[in-house]
Amino acid sequence: MTNTSTGMRRQLGGKWRTLRPGDALRLAAILALVLIMGFPVFMTFATGFFPNGELVRSGLTPSLDRLTLDNFAEALRSIPLVQQLGVSVVVVVVQSLAQLLTSALAAYALVFPSWRGRGIAFAVIVATMAVPGESLVIPNYELVSSLGLRDTVLGIVVPFLAIGYPIFLLRQAFRSVDRELWEAARLDGCGDLRSLFLVILPTCRNEVTTAALWSALAAWNGFFWPLLITDSPQNRTLQVGLSQLVSGESTSPSVIFAGTALVLIPTVVLVMVSQRLIISGMARGVLK
Amino acid sequence: MAHDLLGTASRRVHRAGLGPWLALPAVVLLAVFVYRPLFRGVELSLYGSDLIGNPSRFVGFDNYIDFFSNGDFQRTLWVSLLIAVLAMVISVAVALAGALLLRRWIPGRGLFQIVLSLPFAYSAAAASAVFFGLFAPSIGAINLLLARMGVDGPAWLQEPGWAVFSIAISTAWYETGFAFLVLLAATRAIPEDVLEAAELDGAHGFRMAASMLIPLMRPSIFFLIVTQTIGGLQTFTQVYVLTRGGPGTSTTTLVYELYQLAFGNGTPDFGRASVIGTFLVLLVAGVTALQFILNRRKEF
Repeated sequence: MTNTSTGMRRQLGGKWRTLRPGDALRLAAILALVLIMGFPVFMTFATGFFPNGELVRSGLTPSLDRLTLDNFAEALRSIPLVQQLGVSVVVVVVQSLAQLLTSALAAYALVFPSWRGRGIAFAVIVATMAVPGESLVIPNYELVSSLGLRDTVLGIVVPFLAIGYPIFLLRQAFRSVDRELWEAARLDGCGDLRSLFLVILPTCRNEVTTAALWSALAAWNGFFWPLLITDSPQNRTLQVGLSQLVSGESTSPSVIFAGTALVLIPTVVLVMVSQRLIISGMARGVLK
Repeated sequence: MAHDLLGTASRRVHRAGLGPWLALPAVVLLAVFVYRPLFRGVELSLYGSDLIGNPSRFVGFDNYIDFFSNGDFQRTLWVSLLIAVLAMVISVAVALAGALLLRRWIPGRGLFQIVLSLPFAYSAAAASAVFFGLFAPSIGAINLLLARMGVDGPAWLQEPGWAVFSIAISTAWYETGFAFLVLLAATRAIPEDVLEAAELDGAHGFRMAASMLIPLMRPSIFFLIVTQTIGGLQTFTQVYVLTRGGPGTSTTTLVYELYQLAFGNGTPDFGRASVIGTFLVLLVAGVTALQFILNRRKEF
């Protein structure tokens, strides 16, 4: 009974969309999944607007006259969220720009000019992708401390100015560029840097965006290293600040939810707005 | 003559010049911040701490013998593996269900897609903070909802058995966002005509999923299984935020043990912590090698 004529059809956006009898079951299943998976998201953004325990105790139907912003104010008082936002923004900008630059340069060197040792250089770079970062923190802690960079923003970013994955991503992208395009640029008198920045990078802007997004998210979400290398609340990133809010003895759950909601605003907006871009990036980055 | 012209041109193009040196910044940075610490970690693992925590006493393989024989090793490895596998299985299964259920159009598909990908917006720290609130024993949403259904919920984070499970659940929840996006992209990459042919042959629903879709999505599923298992073996943030390794040592993972030894409240013991670091490198290298072997076998 799956013949389309027994189904219900309607035209939306110029495209026929077909429903089948079995789709009621499909809708029920997906609704259950969405309710379960969406529940923590709903709680993240709703709990903070009500006095502690109010939302849950009212069976998720609180009366709207209990709405309050006190929890957000309390979260902002407990940890220096605004300063930590500043630290996080600097970390994201510096770290992802540096990674993009070192990656683009390295990927260019690995793809266009032919030189002895190119294969070895690629192997040396790619092998770092299999090294768990957690196993490097103690020696890097010694080094960064001895450079006097402990408890500084520079200390947070310095081990991550170059990283394997975006180099790999851009190398794959550059390899799919028509080699004649590069040769034409060279014949027109472009040096290596001008060929890279004026010809190759613009051609690969989709992959460059994917790499930049990946670098920025990794920088924004980083936790273990920023936790270890900083001490003062005002030098810590938002993620670390949030963990300190949770561990505060007197912090009530509503304040934790309020603080988490504030920290999540940028990435939630990003995921909602650029969902299509992220999915196509996933298709490229994962499926090659 | 045209020949000559081309010859000079291509010689000019292929003269390496500055090109190869552009790899230098990346190679130097990776040497300093990945390769040097890799070897320094092995060196440190052969040292014991003096009274103020400086790794100055050479002890040979004592740290290794200690770690592998006193039960810490089995305990922390077991906790890490349990969390890694449990979280991986749950998140891949849920994400796969979501991606398959949403492959064809259904009312509300756009909204459902956004909801299922939203956990991707959560960092490990943020997801853990949220679950810290949801798992709270008295006013936590999970137990109050369970109470309404007549179920007496456990003390999620305070009972040893439940605490490991709770960490796996919160890990699975936020990993599902990424897994869903990857698998959604995979369903989009399946050529429509292949599926139409299968539909004409009468394949629908579960049969379609099992015989056509899942085999076609196998590379993505395999990728998720590997990356999430490797990620899970390095679990730290969730443990730090939710339980601090407790109650007792019931949720102390490899990386949390490393953290406690090197940066916890006691005298820093970089030597013993570095044993864990070195072991982790070998463990992840092993999983990665296994992945390559399995991948190759499938292709040929």
